[in-house]
Amino acid sequence: MTTKDKLKHILIEELNLEDITAEDIGDEEPLFGEGLGLDSLDAVELVVLVQRHFGIEIKDMEEGRAALQSIATLAAFIDGRRTA
Amino acid sequence: MPPSESTTTIDGRRIGNPLGHRIFYALIRVAGRRAAYALLRCVIFYYVLLRPSVRQNTLHYLRRRFPGHAPVERFFDSYRMCFEFGKVLVDRAVMGIRGPGEFQISLRGREQLLGLLAEGKGLVLVTAHVGCWQVAMATLGCLETPVNMLMRREEGELDRHYFEHSGENPYRIIDPAGFLGGTLEMLGVLKQGEVLCVMGDRVTGSARNAVPVDFLGGRAAFPFSAFKLASTTGAPVVVMFTCKTGPGSYALELARVIRVSRDLGRSGEAAAPYVAEFAEALEGFVEKYPYQFFNFFDLWNQSTDSR
Repeated sequence: MTTKDKLKHILIEELNLEDITAEDIGDEEPLFGEGLGLDSLDAVELVVLVQRHFGIEIKDMEEGRAALQSIATLAAFIDGRRTA
Repeated sequence: MPPSESTTTIDGRRIGNPLGHRIFYALIRVAGRRAAYALLRCVIFYYVLLRPSVRQNTLHYLRRRFPGHAPVERFFDSYRMCFEFGKVLVDRAVMGIRGPGEFQISLRGREQLLGLLAEGKGLVLVTAHVGCWQVAMATLGCLETPVNMLMRREEGELDRHYFEHSGENPYRIIDPAGFLGGTLEMLGVLKQGEVLCVMGDRVTGSARNAVPVDFLGGRAAFPFSAFKLASTTGAPVVVMFTCKTGPGSYALELARVIRVSRDLGRSGEAAAPYVAEFAEALEGFVEKYPYQFFNFFDLWNQSTDSR
């Protein structure tokens, strides 16, 4: 399973996204606002989930801002930190 | 001071009109705080007597705090509450214009705060719209740790924050209208071991971020974001309230320390016990200082939609 797919399943299960499947989530779809509709508290949860599932802590909030745009950007951030 | 274009709500800092505020600032400069209080009595009487919407804004709370009061008593409750609020606005301007030396401000619980900060996980300071929190927050400088405040300048606000008079801001402001409601910034400052101050009695943003808990005999909506941040970072939550203790004195009191369990989860229900602790502490404050509660929103009639 790719990082993107894993992230989608984590989002659906851990954030209790109802009536939505992994296939419904576009890689480039914005996570917050008009995209997937997540909000600021979901962002906190997402930071925790990334740490719990991937062992990666988002320490630099500017970096986090860039990473938390979409599934694609978050997956790229995680993969980048893994290979660093 | 019957204004022609005044706004009559007292949600936050919109009461009065720009000229009225400038008159008060000038009076403070020329004649001092007591003269401003004297003018304030007349202005507040005008507003409470002739602007029903102002009185109405106080009644959400007063009906619950003094359920047995007759309409006449309630009128004077409204007057007193608005006058106390006006004094706080005057005091805030006095502090900015004439300097903090005008007031004696005591910090009760300093050693405990220093102990909590020494844990190195930051500190979530949850307060409320009571007393004069801006004046009292200035005392947090003694902690020698950066203080960050989640607050937003609303359109239409007329009154100035006290530091806007002097130009020196004692704390860094995090704007809840920023990216993701400032959440990432808040997480960042806590991870750096700093102090994060939030208002625990005002729901901003999504109704999903609030949970109903018991408060003054009813179910009132309070936000739980602060407790979620504490859960994520492991930071202790301290509930602190400011109160006017005399004509020229304020106190910032540590009311309660709340330890939030890690991995609280997204739901409001999980955070409810901690929010209830905050509400209980706030109830204790308004029992002691009934006319220093300046949250003019109807907390008991706000929707919540926590997952």
